[in-house]
Amino acid sequence: MKTKSRISELLTSNQAVIIMVLLVLSIAIGLRNNAFVSFSTVVILARAAILMLIFALCQMLVIISGGIDVSFPAIACAAMYLPVKMMLNYEIDNLWFPFGMAILIGAFFGLINAVLIASLRIPPLIATLGMNSLISGGLLAFFGSTELSRLPDRLNEMFRSYLFTYTASSGLTYSLTILFIIPVVLAIGLSIFLRYTTMGRGVYAIGGNRSAARIAGFRVIRIQYFVYIFVGAVVGIGAMVSCILNRAASPTNLMGSEMMIIAAVVVGGTRITGGHGSVSGTILGVTLIALIQNNLIMLGIPTHWQPFILGFLIVLGTAFTSLKAMASMKQAKV
Amino acid sequence: MRSVLKKSDSNVIALSFLIVVILIAMALFMPDRFYTMSNLRSIVFQFPEYGVLAFGVMACMISGGIDISLVGIANLSGVIAATIMLGMGKSNLSIVLGILAALATGLLAGLFNGSLIGFLRLPPMLVTLCGSQLYAGLALIITKGPALNDLPDNYKFIANGSIGQIPVVLFVFIAVLVFVYFVMNRTVFGRQVRFMGSNYEAARYSGINNLKTTLRCYAFSGLMGAISGILMSSHFNSAKSDYGTQYTLFSILIVVLGGVHPDGGRGRVAGVTLSIILLQFITQLFTFLRIDTNYRTSAYGFILISVLVITMISDKRRLRRMT
Repeated sequence: MKTKSRISELLTSNQAVIIMVLLVLSIAIGLRNNAFVSFSTVVILARAAILMLIFALCQMLVIISGGIDVSFPAIACAAMYLPVKMMLNYEIDNLWFPFGMAILIGAFFGLINAVLIASLRIPPLIATLGMNSLISGGLLAFFGSTELSRLPDRLNEMFRSYLFTYTASSGLTYSLTILFIIPVVLAIGLSIFLRYTTMGRGVYAIGGNRSAARIAGFRVIRIQYFVYIFVGAVVGIGAMVSCILNRAASPTNLMGSEMMIIAAVVVGGTRITGGHGSVSGTILGVTLIALIQNNLIMLGIPTHWQPFILGFLIVLGTAFTSLKAMASMKQAKV
Repeated sequence: MRSVLKKSDSNVIALSFLIVVILIAMALFMPDRFYTMSNLRSIVFQFPEYGVLAFGVMACMISGGIDISLVGIANLSGVIAATIMLGMGKSNLSIVLGILAALATGLLAGLFNGSLIGFLRLPPMLVTLCGSQLYAGLALIITKGPALNDLPDNYKFIANGSIGQIPVVLFVFIAVLVFVYFVMNRTVFGRQVRFMGSNYEAARYSGINNLKTTLRCYAFSGLMGAISGILMSSHFNSAKSDYGTQYTLFSILIVVLGGVHPDGGRGRVAGVTLSIILLQFITQLFTFLRIDTNYRTSAYGFILISVLVITMISDKRRLRRMT
């Protein structure tokens, strides 16, 4: 009896459901288009998912801690645009400066978010919504809206550094950029942090029940500060990655990506009310969203359906996790 | 209770004071530009479309939630109205049907939000965040991208026409205002929304059906979205899936500035109305000073955060005084 329930639990767990959806979707796409079934798809998908992974892992951390951050696209734009602009103006050309500056700028805005949310207790959504327009408007107003497409040489070089290059039978080569290491390191680091450190457990604790966490001895405000500043800094790194991959620094091109990221996190089983979520789930969620984004056309679904399908997916994802939470609550009562 | 009343009153007084200050400043520095019939008319043509949205956000925020899907609902309603009118050959009957369909769309979308929030107990901000994507996505599926232009003349008249010198849309806004005031202050439902917002559990124990109240509250908000959608599509003479995206932030800003507490329970229609007028004056001031859109976006974000900071700090102070 017990093993049976464990198997059914395993099969209905979020990860299992996503894996099944991924399989069904891949088979459907593969049947319609044979070119899909090849190693190159994996490389293309991995490349497309780099940025989403970085941002989604950050968003996951914030959501687990009981908050939400819709200001990260604006923070990323600032952390991408300002360092590159400075480099071009002062003819700086190395790799430490852009990444260092991006981290600093990201952490700075993260700190402001933390002050608003942790110290002043402003609802996270409204606070970050305000920060989003404050930063994006300010960036465009004070520093101009022109895209910087002539990057310093070292950043361009980075674009051509590959982890490996794969030559398909058709003769086309697919290369995976070295930057793929960043989300991998982040994912491993975050899962160790969340599982094995006191602060990591604290992130779950304050997201699950803030007052209980405080009474249990967690330093709630300090943990929240850490989360927002850390996320800001990582978003800064992500911004530089995006700049290198797109070979341009634009003050606007990441705007509006927050919905997709939140979709990936929520579909990956992170409970939006905080306290629950895992790195592996988020990776699966990102894979699913990236697959859908890149291959909807192959399934014969026109692109203008995309926003609706994304929205629908989040609704499904949240409804699913919430129903499961309610069911487990009922079980606990009996 | 008394201190709460006093707090709301002080908010209304502060807003009125700011409005008077702006009016006097205008009289001193640019009387020949501000106090002209054409300027006053242009003010009246602008604020109703987002003012109505703000009332929707207000109801949800008082109930302890938030509604950021309203711009999506507005665009979906506008697109559906436009599709019906264009499909039926722009007759007067098609206008009536289009408007009714838009209102029904808003109600349904709001009910959908409300049921996810009420039945599944999902957080309102997430539901409505998805909702904004969902409704705008539906509108995009209907239009396939481009705007639906060239709406019937009688429909354009709603937001662009005037009777004598007075824009028609002012009457629409006043009618909505009276309706909102009545619903929020003179009905049982309005009371229930307030109670639910100030203490969800206590409301449940005192016999309020929270589920029903949530459903009605978001349906009401959806209706406001639909009205705003009608006004927007009529004003622009076109309907599209992504008009007025800046109104999301703007409507939240209005509501928070109007003294509605983001944690729910507190807030008055009078405060929100004054806040709508104040922000329209500020917008007009920006236009006179030729401040470009990006500075404005930044400024609105700044004002929103400052107002919240002030609210939260004064909250903390009051708590300390009470204990």
